[in-house]
Amino acid sequence: MSVAWRHWTVAVTGMNARADNPGPGQAVARCLREAPGFSGRILGLGHDALDPGLYRRESCDAGYLLPYPSAGESALIERLAEIHAAERIDALIPCLDAELPGFIRLEKRLAAMGIRVLLPGAARLRARAKDSLPELCRLAGVDTPPIRRLTGPDSLETLASETGWGWPLVVKGGFYDAVIVRNPGEAKSAFQRLAAQWGYPVLVQPFIDGHEVNLAGLGDGAGGLAGAVSMRKRALTDKGKAWAGITIRDRALEEMAEKLVAALNWRGPLEVEAMRGTDGRLWLIEINPRFPAWIWLSHAAGRNLPAALLDMLSGAAPKLEPAPAGIMFIRYAEELALRLEEFERMMVHGVAGGPVPLRALAAE
Amino acid sequence: MSAEDALAALGGAERLAQLALSDTGFVFDPRSGLSFSANDTGLAALRLLRRGESLEAAADILSRDFEVEPREARAGLDIFITQLRRRLS
Repeated sequence: MSVAWRHWTVAVTGMNARADNPGPGQAVARCLREAPGFSGRILGLGHDALDPGLYRRESCDAGYLLPYPSAGESALIERLAEIHAAERIDALIPCLDAELPGFIRLEKRLAAMGIRVLLPGAARLRARAKDSLPELCRLAGVDTPPIRRLTGPDSLETLASETGWGWPLVVKGGFYDAVIVRNPGEAKSAFQRLAAQWGYPVLVQPFIDGHEVNLAGLGDGAGGLAGAVSMRKRALTDKGKAWAGITIRDRALEEMAEKLVAALNWRGPLEVEAMRGTDGRLWLIEINPRFPAWIWLSHAAGRNLPAALLDMLSGAAPKLEPAPAGIMFIRYAEELALRLEEFERMMVHGVAGGPVPLRALAAE
Repeated sequence: MSAEDALAALGGAERLAQLALSDTGFVFDPRSGLSFSANDTGLAALRLLRRGESLEAAADILSRDFEVEPREARAGLDIFITQLRRRLS
């Protein structure tokens, strides 16, 4: 393993951490902070002044606000240049789906600034989009449920019978969110909500009865999987996110990820979400182009994938064995305290410095 | 489905050999991530089946070791296989 990256300044996005659906940023930062020998600086980048990772010094040495992805690349590169001038960023790890297209378009400019990123490229990002999965899976030799793209709710009435899928169905937003619906009424309601929130088309798939399994991995850009950690959720939030989970060894899931990474020549982190049907068959549900929020489990299981990503960026070719089964995590929520001045500084200047000890707050 | 068929559908002795068994009765399936507890009889049955004993032979051994009628042991074993299939599939 290379040692160069252990002294880097690393910027990590996705510092939002609402308990029901946390961003992956703090977990990625924690992986780096706890990586053996790491003595570099970690910068948390967020889009909202209430993103707690911006202030949590156990994870990040400083926090900076970024413009929302909708502001465009010019605003993003301008802001990154300001932060870079102050911090000399060596590497950047984007952790939110919506940020990926912008960072991909800026990849060469970031490289020219000396900021290393490990990104899949626009074509590969598009090839793993929800509505592209059937074509990708056909090429890769992987099972995935069929999918219908709908631009109106009318055909929902007859879709279940016309396709032979029956009820329930799964209605999905183009970028995010999925709802299990059991009748045309529920389907229409879900369609309207998802269309309003995420736009068209809305995607519909047959429901796979079984349990979800997930794999976090790191593609080397040459068709290989540099490392993988598989996990089964043991407790869920209201949004279906993992509140507790355990590492598993599922060879079929590992093979599925290997095939997908090979078919895509995937470069960078990814999460493979799959369903193991009650008949034992494994179905790909989604590929997320980033580390998942549970990625700290990779460090706990001895396969620190964010550290391996930095290792790769420093020119090494890490190859980690799959993580062992039986390492559990249980998530929890906690509060942090900060001075009003620090919050004001974030609101006005988009930057947060060091934390304020609770004792100091109590004394005032 | 007969217990033999259920055991075969489960993956037989090979699948059961993947399970991590503790003397406390704690059983962990590394493929599914699920865990459950087995009593002394269940643990003994699992150990017999994963070393490849047939259901008949396993029931005979359980009958002897736990001092129950062979028919009772076999009936218990059949129920246990059904439960295992539900937990491990």
